[in-house]
Amino acid sequence: MLRFTLERLVGMVITMALVSVMVFIIMEIPPGDYADRYAFRKYSGTGVNVTQADIEAIRADLGLDKPMVLRYLDWIGGIVLRGDFGQAFAFETSVVKVIGDKGFLTLGILFATLLVTYMISIPVGIFAAVKRASAMDYGLTIFSYMGLALPNFLLALLMLYFASRWFGADIGGLFSEAYADAPWSLAKVWDLVKHLWLPAFVLAWSAVAYQIQTMRATMSDELNKLSVTAARARGVPEMKLLVKYPARLAINPVVSTIGFDVNRIFSELPIVAVVLGLTELGELLLKAYLDLDMYVAGAILLLLTFIIVFMNFVSDLLLAWLDPRIKLGA
Amino acid sequence: MLKVDNLTISFRTDEGLITPVQDVSFEVKAGRTLGIVGESGSGKSVSTKALMRLLPGNALVSPDARMAYVNKAGETVNVESLKPNSRALRQLRGGEIGMIFQEPMASFSPVYTIGNQMIEAIRLHRKASKKEAREIAIDMLDRVGISNASARVDQYPHELSGGMRQRAMIALALSAGPALLIADEPTTALDVTIQAQVLELMGDLQRDLGMGMIFITHDLGVIAQVADDVVVMYLGKIVERGATAEVIRNPRHPYTQGLLKAIPSLDTLHDRLSPVPGDIPSPTERPSGCPFHTRCGQMRAGQCDVVEPPEVQLGEGRAVRCWLDAEVSQSAKLEIPA
Repeated sequence: MLRFTLERLVGMVITMALVSVMVFIIMEIPPGDYADRYAFRKYSGTGVNVTQADIEAIRADLGLDKPMVLRYLDWIGGIVLRGDFGQAFAFETSVVKVIGDKGFLTLGILFATLLVTYMISIPVGIFAAVKRASAMDYGLTIFSYMGLALPNFLLALLMLYFASRWFGADIGGLFSEAYADAPWSLAKVWDLVKHLWLPAFVLAWSAVAYQIQTMRATMSDELNKLSVTAARARGVPEMKLLVKYPARLAINPVVSTIGFDVNRIFSELPIVAVVLGLTELGELLLKAYLDLDMYVAGAILLLLTFIIVFMNFVSDLLLAWLDPRIKLGA
Repeated sequence: MLKVDNLTISFRTDEGLITPVQDVSFEVKAGRTLGIVGESGSGKSVSTKALMRLLPGNALVSPDARMAYVNKAGETVNVESLKPNSRALRQLRGGEIGMIFQEPMASFSPVYTIGNQMIEAIRLHRKASKKEAREIAIDMLDRVGISNASARVDQYPHELSGGMRQRAMIALALSAGPALLIADEPTTALDVTIQAQVLELMGDLQRDLGMGMIFITHDLGVIAQVADDVVVMYLGKIVERGATAEVIRNPRHPYTQGLLKAIPSLDTLHDRLSPVPGDIPSPTERPSGCPFHTRCGQMRAGQCDVVEPPEVQLGEGRAVRCWLDAEVSQSAKLEIPA
């Protein structure tokens, strides 16, 4: 297992290195840079005549005049060696400060969503497979199709509407007003947890529907395996049998798509965040792009891709743990 | 130790109700081996699955079926009336009746070591600590002839060869200490040489442990080696039964005769094999009358294809279900059970 883990770890580092190059190139692609934008912002409407030399001076000041390769090395070196993601020009502070809490909140939403997705879809999928062709199974299938058909921002709107109409509850946002600007404390974390379930549920909605069907299909296959009958013929109690024999193998396609789920959550998060008034990174990413604030955009892109690559790494390890044949190379 | 009466099993399918086992009765005596012979689709595996209550959800067992099993404590267990998921049923499975299957690879879970699955079975049915269970497992692997058992116990099923796996499967079934072993074509998937070894091993173990055994196969040659008594099944019916030596020496049913002739022999190397003609009919299209009449060389039109023959008793435990014998016994004024 150690060898396998190390191999995957090396693979992850190489992937991240390549991803960082790609991210940097993507940051360079939009025409112009922050020097143009800064000059425009500072002097527009003031009647000052801005020359090309002025812009060059700003550019040199911001360190944007150096060749791309050098700037990349500076950037990545700062991140790896000092955890310094560079300057957030538009905010006139460091990227780390700008992203700060938003990064953690995004992570919080991500993990809460994944947790909700798997806590619901895995047991329910197993249940549907065991009760195959029952009314319950058909009901779940109908629910699944609804889940796939209903866009989650619409679901978010519906939930907001009914929550405020029936319970008068303020369920938008990630914090109650009392805690919004309070420093971090246990009470604030608990407040966050109380608010997190709704966006997690909304974001998990379609994945739950999808993964229930995946789980149901693979579990149905596994239930027909001779090894399951053989274990039953040895007197293994039914609940233990289901978890130990078919479910452990049936869970494989769900685990191997953790990376896809993370990816999907990141793409759906911004629009859900707008509806529910959440603090997260998507909005900031868009703003950074509009401002050509490249290091902010780069840091966010890098962070998101790093999480996806890391979750793929976790999924690889989980798969190897679930099925030892993977690490044994059989 | 096990008496099965009037066992009829049907399955609800999309093509309607099919009945692969009809009115089957047999008995297994302690320490003896009953062979069940038949082609695929004759209902031999399904009958034994019913004994372990392993039939799928769409299976129906006739209400008058009786499966009386005398357990190790000497109590009679009525298998047909055990509740699903009950403790008594779980004890029966594995602890009282062990089962080994045709595909040793598929009957092990690929993601647990041999030892893990053995220790689980041992601890379900015997009072043993993890450490003791491991000792029992290693001892049992050693007993079935697996070399270096203390290392093999930590290996995964795919790390063993086919013959080794079947030995390990036998060890797994026996480690829980069953009094009756059901072997469902245990040697069919193996090479001939390994097949002989495994058969010998099973015979030895049965003698040592004093187990009863039900041995399912399509091969009468194998039955001749292992079974004391034999029942021959065709399309869900027992067509002939008796002591193995008697049935093989003097087969009465044309189907049994056909099966015996179909066994390749070195003595008759230059003759062509004589298979039983025709195919086994589909279970949805059961022939009327005697189920075998479509393939029988001695079929009498108007009788065999119209009326099903009764089971004719020919002596102690010896019986055949064929009009040829029914006629003989009738003319000799012998009693015909309905």
